Amino acid sequence: MNTMLRALRRVADRRRQAQGDYGWLFNPYTGNEMVSLDCETTGLDPKTAELVSIAAVCIRDDRVLTSESLDLRLARPGSLDGQSICVHRLRGIDLDGGLDVEEALTRLLDFIGNRPLVGWCIGYDLTILDRYLKELLGFALPNATIDVAQEYRRQLRRSHPEVVVSPEFERVAERLGVPIMGRHTALGDAVTTALMHLRLQNGALQEPG
Amino acid sequence: MVDLDMSEPPFSLLNDSAREHLRAGLDLAYFARDTIILDAGQPGEFVFVIHKGEVAELDINEAPERSRIGHYTDGDLFGAISVLNGTSRYRFIAEQESLCYLMPGQLFLSLCDSEPAFAEYFRNRIAEKTRLMSQRRSQEDVSLADFMVARVSECQREPLVVASTTSIGEAVRILRDRQADSLLVEWQEGLVEEDSSRPGKGYGMVTRTDMLESLVLEGADPELALSAVASRDLVGVEAQQYLFEALIEMTRHKVARVVVWSGGQLVGIVELTDVLSFFSSRSYVVSLQVEQASDLDDLRAASQRVPEMLDSLMARGVRMRFAMSMLAALNGRIIHKAWGLSMAEPQRSACCLLLLGSEGRGEQVSRTDQDNALILADGCDWPNLADDATHFTNVLAELGYPHCSGHIMISNPQWVGTLTQWQKRVRSWVAEPGPDNLMQLSILMDACSVAGDLTLGDRLRDILITETRGNEVLLSHFARAVLQFSTPLTLFGSLKRPEHGIDLKKGGIFPIVHGVRSLALERGIRATSTLERLEALVIDGRVERRDADDLGEALQVFSELRWRTGGSVPDINEGGANRIVVQSLSSLERDLLREALHIVREFKGRLSHRYHLEYA
Repeated sequence: MNTMLRALRRVADRRRQAQGDYGWLFNPYTGNEMVSLDCETTGLDPKTAELVSIAAVCIRDDRVLTSESLDLRLARPGSLDGQSICVHRLRGIDLDGGLDVEEALTRLLDFIGNRPLVGWCIGYDLTILDRYLKELLGFALPNATIDVAQEYRRQLRRSHPEVVVSPEFERVAERLGVPIMGRHTALGDAVTTALMHLRLQNGALQEPG
Repeated sequence: MVDLDMSEPPFSLLNDSAREHLRAGLDLAYFARDTIILDAGQPGEFVFVIHKGEVAELDINEAPERSRIGHYTDGDLFGAISVLNGTSRYRFIAEQESLCYLMPGQLFLSLCDSEPAFAEYFRNRIAEKTRLMSQRRSQEDVSLADFMVARVSECQREPLVVASTTSIGEAVRILRDRQADSLLVEWQEGLVEEDSSRPGKGYGMVTRTDMLESLVLEGADPELALSAVASRDLVGVEAQQYLFEALIEMTRHKVARVVVWSGGQLVGIVELTDVLSFFSSRSYVVSLQVEQASDLDDLRAASQRVPEMLDSLMARGVRMRFAMSMLAALNGRIIHKAWGLSMAEPQRSACCLLLLGSEGRGEQVSRTDQDNALILADGCDWPNLADDATHFTNVLAELGYPHCSGHIMISNPQWVGTLTQWQKRVRSWVAEPGPDNLMQLSILMDACSVAGDLTLGDRLRDILITETRGNEVLLSHFARAVLQFSTPLTLFGSLKRPEHGIDLKKGGIFPIVHGVRSLALERGIRATSTLERLEALVIDGRVERRDADDLGEALQVFSELRWRTGGSVPDINEGGANRIVVQSLSSLERDLLREALHIVREFKGRLSHRYHLEYA
C-alpha cells in the first residue's frame, strides 16, 4: 500500500518538477553505484521527529567509498531533549554552527542524485526526509530504495524458513561478520549498513554457520 | 567513518593533518574467501590495511608447499611495496572473508612525499623496525630512555696525553694542576709493541694509584719515566657506542676507565664516576654488589636482583643485545665469584670452569638452568673432586641457577676432564657423529671459560678446531639439525587453535644459533656468542655483511618476543615461555616476526645448499 502511494506520488512529482531545478532526480539511474543513507533524529515518531544529522556514503561494486561520503550536522532543532541526546550523543552545543535544514537537504540531494538508496529500516528515514522536502521543495525523494533489514529478513526466510526474525541492527551485523563502526552516529550507521548490504549481496547467509 | 588505529607505526609516523588526510581518503572493501586481492604481476593500485580477516601472501613461482611466504591479519598492512615498485611480486589471497581499508596508491605516494619518516618505514630493513619496537617499549618513560641510550661521546672527557719519557714527579704535578685522576701515556719510538695490531697500540695509561703504589710500595724514584709504571692494556670503546657498552666493558675487564676512539684516533676518556653520574641505574649497583660480595650470602642477595635489573633495562627501551650482554657479563661475574668463594686453592686457579649453552653464548633473556663443565690441569691432584663439584652445583642452584635436567654440570664426570681426556672425547664424537655426540659437540662449541686458569679454555678451543678442521662429512651431519624444526610460516595465525601459538625457540632461535655455530665450526672461529660469530664470519668473508646484520636482528626479535612472553621468570614448564600467540602481538610486532621468520627461512635454504642437506 505504502509503495503504491509512493509510486503515485512519484509520478505526480515528476510531472510537476520536470522543468524545475531537480528534474534530473527523476531520471532512471543506469550506473553501478548506490548510496547508503542514515539520519539521526530527536525522536522515534516519524511524524514529529526532527533531523539532527544526516550521513550518506557511496557504494560502488564491492566497495564502500568512505572517501566519498557526506556527513551533515544540522542546527539545533526545537525538540532536542535529554532522551534523544542519550541515543545519538549530540548535545545542543555540538550542533552549534550546524546547517539549517534547507541548506542540508540541498547538499544531500546534490550528493545522492538519482542513485538508488540503501538503509536500515530506510522507510523511517525517508518519511522524515520527505516531510521536510515536501514542505521546502514540494516533492518527495523519487529514488529506488533497498531496506537492508527487509533484505535480511527475506534472505533468512528463504534459507531458514523455520526462524521467526525481528532483526536487530547489532545482532544482524554480528551474524554477517560486519564490524559496527561508530554506532548511533549517522555516518557510522550508514557505513555499517553499506557493509551489511554488500555481505547480503554476496550471499553471506547462504554460507553454513 | 574510518575506524583505523593510527597509534602504531607506520601511521603514528604521520602528523595529525596527514592522518586526517589519510582518513578522508580511505575506502572499504569486502573480499570473499579465496578471492585474489592482488595478483603477482598486477599493478599495485592500493595499499591494503586489514580491518578484519586473514590474507595469505603466496609466491606463485614456488612449489605449492613452499609457496606461502606471509600471513596478514587484523591491523596489518600489505601492498605498499607493490605501489612503490609498480607491480606486485606476490599473490595476495583472502584466507577468510576480509574487510580491508583501501588506500589509493596516489594518496600513499603523496603521504610518502610529504612525510619522510613514513616513507622510510617502507624502505627500512628489519634493523630500523626493531629500533621502533624498542622505542615503543620505552614510550612510558621517554626521558629515562633518552638517558639510557646516551652515547659515549656525550660523556667523554678530553684526554690528557703526556710523553712516556715524562717523569713520575712531573706527571703527579700535571694531575694536580688539571684535577684529573689519570693520564694517557704516548709511547716514544721503539717502545711500541711490534706484534700488537689493535688500535691504540701507541698509548698506555697511568693512574694516581699506579704512581702511588710504585712510589710508596716499590720505592721508585720520582724521576723515573712513566714508561716503567704505565699499563699497556687499554680497554677502548668507539665514540658512537652506547655509554652502556662502556659500562659493560668496565664490568667485564674490571677497570674504572676506558679510552674512546673515533676512526682510529684517540678522542677522549670515560671514567666510571662520569658514567655513574650519568646514570644511577640499578645495573651498576648490582654489579658493584657482586664485586663487593665477601661471602655467598652477599652474592645471593646480589644475584636475586639480576632479573629485576633486566626488566628495568628492557622497560627503558634498551636494545635486546645490550641487555643480553649486560646479563651475560653479570652472570659471568657472579659465577666467577661463586667459584672463588666456594673452591679451595690450588685447584681453584689451576682448573678452568666453563659455561655452556646459552650462558656460554651470552644470549640469555632469563635465568636458565646451569650448564657447566670443568677442565682439570694436567697432573692436578683433586682428591675430593666429586664432592666439591656437587657442592659447587648446589651453590649455583642457591644463587638462582637451577640444576640442569640433562646433567650437563661439573657434578657429572662426563663433563670433567683433563685436556687429554677432553681431546679423546672430542675425537670419539667426531669419529661417530650420532645425534647424542653431535649434541655434545655443539654444547662444547659454546663453551666460554669464566673462572680459574682461562688459558685451558683457549687450549680446549684449539683442540676443537684442529680436531674438526676440514671435515666436510662432520660438518654436514652437524648442520643437519638446522632443518630439524620447520619454520612456522605456514602456521602463522591460522592455527586451528590460535592459543597454541608458535614456538619461537624451535622455529626461530635454534636455526639461527645452530646455523651460525655450524659456520663457525667450519671456519674455526673462536667466538662463542652468535653475534660475535657473525661478526667474525663477515670478516672471514663467509657471510655477507647484510645477511649477518639481518640474522643478528632476527635473533634479537625472537629473544625480545620471548622475553616479553616469559618475562625474566624461568619457566619450569618447558615450552611455555617459548610459545607466542601471534594474535596477541601488535601489528608492528607481527610485521617484525614475519620478517624475522623469513630471514630464518632464507638462511636455512643457504645452509642446506652449502652443506648439501637436501640429500639427507
